[in-house]
Amino acid sequence: MGSGNEILDMYIYETGTLLEQLETIVLEAEKVDTFSQENVNEIFRIMHTIKGSSAMMEFDTLATVAHRIEDMFFIIREGTMSVVSEDDRPALFDVVFQSIDFFRGEVEKVESGEPLDSNIDSFMANINTLIAKIKGEGPPEPVPAAAAPAAPAAPAPAPAPAAGGGFPHALRVNFEEGCGMESLRAFMLVTAVKDVCGEGDFTFDPPNVENDPSTTESIIDNGFHLMFRNEADRAGAIATIKTVGSVQGYQPYEIAPVEEKPAAPSAASPAAAAPAAAPAAAPSAAPAAPAAQQVQQTQQHPKETLISVNLSKLDQLSAVVGEIVITESMVTSSPDLKGLALDAFSKSARQLRKLTDELQDVSMSLRMVPVSSVFQKMTRIVRDMTKKLNRPAKLTLIGENTEVDKTIVDSIGDPIMHMIRNSMDHGIEETQEERIAAGKDPVGEIVLSARDTGSEVIIEIIDDGRGVNDEAVLSKAIRQGIASPDADYSHREILSFLLAPGFSTNTEVTEFSGRGVGMDVVKRGVEELGGTVSISSELGRGMTTTIRIPLTMAIMDGMEVAVGDSIFTIPINNIQATMKVSAGDVIHDSNSGEIIKCQGNFVPIVRARDLYQLQDGCSNIEDGVLIWLEAGDHSYCLFVDELLGQQQVVVKQLPAYVNSFNVKRYGINGCTLRSDGSISIILDVASLYTAARGM
Amino acid sequence: MNDEILFAREDEMEALNLDDAVDSQKYLIFMAGHLKLGVVAEDVVEILNNQVITYLPMVPDFIRGIINMRGQMIPILDIRARLGMEPQEGDDLVVVINLGDVQLGILVDGVDQMLDIPKNNIHPLPANSTQLLVSGMCSLPDGSGTMMVLDCEQLMPNE
Repeated sequence: MGSGNEILDMYIYETGTLLEQLETIVLEAEKVDTFSQENVNEIFRIMHTIKGSSAMMEFDTLATVAHRIEDMFFIIREGTMSVVSEDDRPALFDVVFQSIDFFRGEVEKVESGEPLDSNIDSFMANINTLIAKIKGEGPPEPVPAAAAPAAPAAPAPAPAPAAGGGFPHALRVNFEEGCGMESLRAFMLVTAVKDVCGEGDFTFDPPNVENDPSTTESIIDNGFHLMFRNEADRAGAIATIKTVGSVQGYQPYEIAPVEEKPAAPSAASPAAAAPAAAPAAAPSAAPAAPAAQQVQQTQQHPKETLISVNLSKLDQLSAVVGEIVITESMVTSSPDLKGLALDAFSKSARQLRKLTDELQDVSMSLRMVPVSSVFQKMTRIVRDMTKKLNRPAKLTLIGENTEVDKTIVDSIGDPIMHMIRNSMDHGIEETQEERIAAGKDPVGEIVLSARDTGSEVIIEIIDDGRGVNDEAVLSKAIRQGIASPDADYSHREILSFLLAPGFSTNTEVTEFSGRGVGMDVVKRGVEELGGTVSISSELGRGMTTTIRIPLTMAIMDGMEVAVGDSIFTIPINNIQATMKVSAGDVIHDSNSGEIIKCQGNFVPIVRARDLYQLQDGCSNIEDGVLIWLEAGDHSYCLFVDELLGQQQVVVKQLPAYVNSFNVKRYGINGCTLRSDGSISIILDVASLYTAARGM
Repeated sequence: MNDEILFAREDEMEALNLDDAVDSQKYLIFMAGHLKLGVVAEDVVEILNNQVITYLPMVPDFIRGIINMRGQMIPILDIRARLGMEPQEGDDLVVVINLGDVQLGILVDGVDQMLDIPKNNIHPLPANSTQLLVSGMCSLPDGSGTMMVLDCEQLMPNE
């Protein structure tokens, strides 16, 4: 069961990666309105892989669709993009996009264990119409090749011409009698052999084992043949074959003359649809084969140097590394060592500190991935919306290689998508005339940028649209009961209404945004990551949304403070200033609340001791320290006994048992181990204030 | 009553002789005030003493706080407070139990003994008992008192 899941996981992961690649290619290609030959080869290869792996996993509909698209690109590969007339190109791009969506949808179903869509007829009809169109206008010669849809599987046409020339070292493999599914076993064998020698360095016969079950008979009768370019590869493959199940035996042999070979595969594979079609396909495929091999070889490098690791293992690693960092400081600053002159020890301790720091950096960098995968998706959304809304706009990506923690990448997608949709829907002017009249480029622009400041990553979504109309927002906010009709609001306050729950400026519900959920979703999503959102806008000039997220959540810089016997850690990011005040500075309001003036702002005071009903702690404001904190829209001063110092801490979750008492609502967010092994409680600045105000 | 104890002893002897693995279960018996409470020994992870318990605000009184057990955060439950008795004075003896995925430290007065008890020696509580968190009772074979079997499932929140 476990191994079955691993294969499925691998399939989901691999297909996802391929679809991402594919989408990037198609988006790029659409800009220039053509596929380069390189693109076509790449798409062909991707579809081929998806077809193969889907067939192996017995997701037939996926395999069928992939197969058909592969066919289509086979025709294009043969005749280059010139076979697709200008008029058909938008349709071609659409079909590819639709297929990406189709695969994504199906793979999601696979992931969640839902049944697959069995009705693909209309989609297939779409593809077929397009293929017919392309074929109708293409040069006549590739037509016969396409007429044999079973043949064009990438390596399939290659063996015939190539085997005689480049692959003299052959190997005949026999499977155990009656083991069943010989064709699939052969395909798995091929996959295993691919691991030891390059895809371009060997071929096999019968060729299309992965999707043609009828090859089974031929394998039973004649064995499964592998042909290698080098003898060393064959030796390597033999070692692999020994480890593959159901293999009864193998027999190396050399292929001598060139003439014999072309006859062999067509005779040996009764499957190759029509004997006449096979030779016809072969010569036309020959020129393409070297190109395909080249692509495969360039593709191999990343395969060998990159491995995929389960995220939970990385989590485990960073947890252990965090422990090591703490243990290291526990050992080297142990009170037992006080007063001892230990030269050698101190030297080794310094070395250890250096190494643990390095280890920590490395383990953190493992979790870092570029934001490009998320940004790429936005390109697609803008493209789709431009078409649907008929509102030309382009998306400019800046800093897509900025690396952030994997957890952030996973959850940042929705907030960004929401903002981009919002910009497209409400920001960019409805008509080009409107833009021209305002003296802007008729094509709207949305800039999505990411940059890394060292402690946090800043993501900005900037559009050059209409901007926010303060009056419209305010009157809407009043109607919704968020704002009071009598009060005066500043520009900044009005903008903050946009992020309030239930606020949506568009009264109509559109397909893309304004589905009753407002931008508070964005705010909540970002705050869950420990980040903040702010909006700035100038009427007529556009709007900028800034999302700031701490770079990694596993380790953070915190200020340790003491209140009575308890020790709390406050994220440094939230701290604006700390100060000692005299009793005369405190302003008392009518509800026995306390207010203090910090750098020209009046901010409320929250006493940690009172909020958490602690037994000990300072009560006189002059004995303790005020920490001015800011998180999102909240700005307040927390009164604590004393500051213990700044510390880099490893964030640990509180036990689920404790969390079940809703302590997070009171700003008790996690905990961390101090260098002496005691525990400090990590406070969440925003929810602490909400809790204090609610009391 | 005496008869029952006698029978129980006989049963126990039989069980021990015949098949102690199947019919009996090991219990760890600890003291909480005047009560002897038993938990299934398999669930016990560790017995710790001299732990520094970090106070946690905003939780019910019976949660003393959390401790750091080899880098793992374990919530500490004051069993006396949980059962509605006077809260614990000292805080030096903790029995850590494992319930599914949740580890929970129970603050106790002292650990009494580890004992094999045949399953059919454990009797249900009197029908109208108001005793909390106890799923069964058993007279101890050495005559030192009665063990109440702590129902660990009920220690979990929301129940």
